[in-house]
Amino acid sequence: MQELLQRIAARADGWIELRFQSRSTKQIAVRNGELEESSSKRIQGIGVRALVDGVFGFAATTDLTETGILRAMESAQGAAKTSAKAKKNRIEGLAKATLSTGSYPLQTSDPLDAHPLEEKLALVMRIDEMIRNGGDAIVSSNVSYAEIQDEKVIVTSDGACAHLFSAIPEFRTMAVAQKNGEQCFGNSSISTQGGWAELFGIRSPEEMAEYTIQMAIEQLTAPHPPGGTTTVVLDPGLVGVLSHEAIGHTVEADIVLGGAITLEKMDKEVASELVTMIDSPTSDHGTGATGTLPVDDEGVQGRKTTLIDHGVLRSYLHNRETAAHFGVEPTGNARAFEYTDAPIIRMRNTYIEPGDTSFEDMIAGVEDGFYCVGLGFGGQADSNAEFMFGVREARRIKNGKIGELVRGANISGNAFDVLKSVDAVGNDFQWDLGAGTCGKGQAAKVDAGGPHLRCKATIGGRQ
Amino acid sequence: MGNSSELRDRCQQALELTKKHGADEVEIFAQTAQTITVDAENNDLHTTSSQQETMIGIRAFVNQQVGFACTNVDEDLETACADAVQLAKASPRDEHNVLDAPQPVQPVDEIFDAKAADFTAADAVAQAIRILEIAESIDQRVIIGNASVSSNLIERCIANSRGLDLFESSSLFTYFALATAKDGEQVSNMAFKFDATHFVDQIDVEPVVRGASADALGSLGAGKGESFVGPVILTPEAVGSILGGLITFQLNGKNALRGSSRWGKELGNAVAAPLITVIDDGRLAGGVSTSAFDREGTPRARTVLIENGVAKSLMHNAYTARAMGAANTGHASGSARSIPGIGPSNASIAPGQTSKDELIGEIEHGLLVSRFSGSANPISGDFSGVAKAAYLIKNGKLERPVTGTLIAGNAFEALQSLSGVSSETERVFTTTLPYIRLEDISITAE
Repeated sequence: MQELLQRIAARADGWIELRFQSRSTKQIAVRNGELEESSSKRIQGIGVRALVDGVFGFAATTDLTETGILRAMESAQGAAKTSAKAKKNRIEGLAKATLSTGSYPLQTSDPLDAHPLEEKLALVMRIDEMIRNGGDAIVSSNVSYAEIQDEKVIVTSDGACAHLFSAIPEFRTMAVAQKNGEQCFGNSSISTQGGWAELFGIRSPEEMAEYTIQMAIEQLTAPHPPGGTTTVVLDPGLVGVLSHEAIGHTVEADIVLGGAITLEKMDKEVASELVTMIDSPTSDHGTGATGTLPVDDEGVQGRKTTLIDHGVLRSYLHNRETAAHFGVEPTGNARAFEYTDAPIIRMRNTYIEPGDTSFEDMIAGVEDGFYCVGLGFGGQADSNAEFMFGVREARRIKNGKIGELVRGANISGNAFDVLKSVDAVGNDFQWDLGAGTCGKGQAAKVDAGGPHLRCKATIGGRQ
Repeated sequence: MGNSSELRDRCQQALELTKKHGADEVEIFAQTAQTITVDAENNDLHTTSSQQETMIGIRAFVNQQVGFACTNVDEDLETACADAVQLAKASPRDEHNVLDAPQPVQPVDEIFDAKAADFTAADAVAQAIRILEIAESIDQRVIIGNASVSSNLIERCIANSRGLDLFESSSLFTYFALATAKDGEQVSNMAFKFDATHFVDQIDVEPVVRGASADALGSLGAGKGESFVGPVILTPEAVGSILGGLITFQLNGKNALRGSSRWGKELGNAVAAPLITVIDDGRLAGGVSTSAFDREGTPRARTVLIENGVAKSLMHNAYTARAMGAANTGHASGSARSIPGIGPSNASIAPGQTSKDELIGEIEHGLLVSRFSGSANPISGDFSGVAKAAYLIKNGKLERPVTGTLIAGNAFEALQSLSGVSSETERVFTTTLPYIRLEDISITAE
């Protein structure tokens, strides 16, 4: 496949990008002891992107013969030409980049395929049963396992030729508890890039089940939180959500150009000097980050990108088009989920660098506030960095001690204001976006995390 | 694009292969989609793309055990058929895993335009340019951050070992605009409008651009809101976000069967104010999701889900209907890539008797919410979030746009206590919804 794509790219008229993808996914889902799904999907094809007269055209095909690929290439070039006349700001060229010619095999000692279907099914059934037996209040359970395995070949007419393999397994648990007609739910999820051992090295499925049961039941009797702006300690999971969802999207260069709040903030102070935020192609500080991406879908070698350096905004996230526009080097953030998707700017592993405060000291310094753990139900953020996230587990902090659980809490605010209010950054670190998938017209598997963080935010809930 | 006999032959071939590998019952769902899309970003054209894919989904039954596989690769078809059988053999037995006997299906009119095949990338580009030009002519402050025009030619085919063999062609043109207005330092909320039609000649992007632009311009200059508990008018879009998800979750037969829906035990009881009637019509003339049959080949129909506030029916596919001893309502949803789920087709909340302006006119102190950005939990009913493009209502009039305003409540309670449903309705993706007046909503200005 590699030779064929190189041969076609070499003969192409103008700039061309050819991306072969072969994807195999498996999914097992059980609900209340009944198997909901056991499936296997195989999807394969080539996405072709052409740059003609300063405009991109894209076509996708499942015909992997030379004739089929050439036809798709012509279709992509034709599509570009069609819109070239009406395009106002033509792309004058793509930024120079370090293009990869490497091969990137799967990194794991415990590949997913070494574990038979029967073992995966039995595990999902067993954990579902464990949740159903978690107490009289439990009325519904839901457990699922999924894996995505990819092989990609990315070739461009200006020299990229990368061959990549990846495997992403994920495991999810959910429980619904009921009392007096009211229902609450608990959930937990994990994912990684790697194999079976790496996945359950994050957390064991039994631990996830216990936590899920406890959250569903405990919330039934928990009070709703009082609203207001207060001191909150965020766990690595929520620090990840804040970094990815509320800040990260506003520094994606395409969103920046669409009028995001960050357009006028470059080299300005946007956060407390304690805050350094990174988007990285590698799994820094810990293993198995799900968004690990050595080479992006334009064939560009990934670059660790410091977005915020000690409180100052220093970089956006780029593809080759926006990097040329801003006159900077591409960061390796062009990603496409399937062969039918054209690459767009996406995050990889987004996090805040650890600091030097211990978790105990951080909590001890709070007189009255909340300890917030994990993303709960729902989350929204705008390109002006205003956000609202459901909190999975919110507990009162009183006089330096973590206390009672509150129910249905959410946190909101402007993410940059929240980062400006940071007065302590933990000395710990965890990747913890769970089995998170980012959506921006197309999906992407990403990760996010960081240390614990103490800041000010608005806590809300049902009032 | 292939033709009907080609896709049908493929289905029959997959059916035989799956039987050969040991299935005692088989369902094949195949779908070919040919798509042209033009995307615009920041007042300019961006990428034009075209693609075609045929996906075959195989559901194999072995002794009431089920497995599913799908593939888009011709050469992999037999492997996928064998995979489905192997997955079935490893699965637990479930007595409700039985295919229904085929029912007669009447074709639906007006979902396929013979002219659709001649709609080219250049035609799509012309429509996208029109979106940008109209926006520019409305007001220089409007920025079309994102817009898209898409043409889709779809062929669906379903066959099973009970003798089912159905085929349907449809064409669908979709278009949207996401607008922001910028005036000096002031930036409005984002405003989004979408529409769709099955016919080339009925493509009309103008209302979409005008609507999104007007909403964006209207929210410029928004000031601080007020904190109070009072009535809220939701636009059709906000009705979808706050109430829509809860209604479809609660009426989903699978959620009822598995105990996660409260309304599962409430059929025949009032779950909403008498003003509320919810209908799902899979054969609706001009409906975005109109089709003769569902993901399992069951005929689509008109189902009254809630009538004058009383829960009348759940949405079922073959599995839940069998398991709950109910009639199959033809609500199997999903594509050839997935096992059949359950979902609405063209769902609507029936219009009321009062105009939207009358609803606003009756309010002394309240809030109009154009868009809701937050969370709405379909299990607990709790919702809380930011009211986007919101207007303060004073003495029956929209007084001024407000920003940074949070609303919170419980959708189960809101459905019972709501006090107004407008006579106007609007299409929000596949649904058709009115404006609704909710009572006693907690409104907090930040």
